[in-house]
Amino acid sequence: MNEVFDVETLRGAARVAGFAWTVEELETLRPAVEAALRLLAALDDLPLGAIEPTTQYRVL
Amino acid sequence: MNADLAFVSVTDLARMIARKEVSPVEVVRLHLERIETHDRSLRSYITVCADAALAAARSAEAGLMAGGPVGPLHGVPIALKDLYDTAGVATTAGSKILAARVPDADATVVRRLREAGAIVLGKLHMVEFAYGPEGLNAHHGAPRNPWDAAVERLPGGSSSGSGVAVAAGLAPAALGSDTGGSIRIPASLCGITGLKPTYGRVSRAGVLPLAWSMDHAGPMTRTAGDSAVLLRVMAGYDPADASSSVLPVPDYLAALNGDVKGLRVGLLRGFFLDSATPDVRAAVEHAAKTLERAGAVVDEVSLPAVAHVAASAYAVVASEALAYHTVWLRAQPADYDPEVRRRLQLGAFVTGAQYVRAQQARALVRDEIDAALARRDVLLAPATPLTAPRLDERQTTLGDGRSDVRAALIRLTRPFNCSGHPACAVPCGFSPQGLPIGMQLVGRPFDEATVLRVADAYQRLTDWHVRRPVLA
Repeated sequence: MNEVFDVETLRGAARVAGFAWTVEELETLRPAVEAALRLLAALDDLPLGAIEPTTQYRVL
Repeated sequence: MNADLAFVSVTDLARMIARKEVSPVEVVRLHLERIETHDRSLRSYITVCADAALAAARSAEAGLMAGGPVGPLHGVPIALKDLYDTAGVATTAGSKILAARVPDADATVVRRLREAGAIVLGKLHMVEFAYGPEGLNAHHGAPRNPWDAAVERLPGGSSSGSGVAVAAGLAPAALGSDTGGSIRIPASLCGITGLKPTYGRVSRAGVLPLAWSMDHAGPMTRTAGDSAVLLRVMAGYDPADASSSVLPVPDYLAALNGDVKGLRVGLLRGFFLDSATPDVRAAVEHAAKTLERAGAVVDEVSLPAVAHVAASAYAVVASEALAYHTVWLRAQPADYDPEVRRRLQLGAFVTGAQYVRAQQARALVRDEIDAALARRDVLLAPATPLTAPRLDERQTTLGDGRSDVRAALIRLTRPFNCSGHPACAVPCGFSPQGLPIGMQLVGRPFDEATVLRVADAYQRLTDWHVRRPVLA
């Protein structure tokens, strides 16, 4: 994934999450969001299958 | 007063106090004087509990004179990262948002340490809400790394004050917390010992969270033996923390026999040693040889799955941190350090599915480290790939290319937050600039005893951990 997002797209995503951030704030965040999404895309390529997530690491 | 006393180990200090060779009042007063003298420039403390510490010291002395019971830390002063709840004393997480927060009760581990006789000197500086490895804090300023009087250098974070205070002799021991390396990074940059125990070994009840599934509470000390003493007191099941383990707590100090003969040590190549600067790589390789000469069996191992750690840890920490901060981030965003606010905001762009996939990826990392440790007792790697950068340094050169400082600091510690394995940072050398170099020893889950045994054996063979910074 190497997408570029405009501020309106970010504003929509932020609103879904319950935040009403200004255009200036979103512009500041935009490069970091794009970099983060590139990073997270790597997770899609992993053979995770039915591996159980480690929501509770090791209950003993 | 004798400054050497400020650098006596916790183990020896407890013994000296129990034998009435030194008074707890004298020890506490010495540390308060050192804080008064040096902390204006070092900035390691947010709150100094001078009156309460002196009162506790007098009480400890009276108890000793009356022949009362003596706990393993009777009269020994410690200091706490300012995210450990302390009854009646502000616990702010280094923030403006919680500046007026005064808990009613101690965190479980603080209560256990007090019951063992420890005396709380004060609360230590930290990165706001523990969200960052550099040690910077826009509200309070950064504590100063004591190892370079000429150049302001990062102390490492987020337990920045803990690293500085212990290294500078302003506390014999401190508590830190570690979500991506926040105990081991300042330990490495400040030249002290820092233990991140197994996830579940130490209660997090009453410790303000950054990311619940990655947070670990642990000791920061000058020796592995001191970490063993503190861990024995801190560890164990706590009904107030659902993730705490019911496994019995061993006598960690008894495991420190100085012997590593036959122990199998896996030196982590690839992702770990390749990224280190030449000074750090040479120091860690030399440490491996030191252990080998002492009888350990050293081989090399790589962990390819750690390549997934950056994405996995990012999704987990960003999401969990945002979940904790949502209400404040909506109501008073301007009260955050701008850089911390930016990191929190990024969590809004991680989806639920990405969070779960990141938690799945953690299982891959955990399983690979478990497999490496099935044939070895401990793994050995640099704790940080570089020594303390300058305060204003944003980019650095590592063994495998350019990196921003933040990513570099956290790169080698974070895998073991994802996996939950115990990891202990130990000083293993100094750079030509006189800056400490730290390595980390990683063990099997709940086998802190072996991790500390190797760390202690190494410290019996070397003197890196007893060197002191020259304070202005």
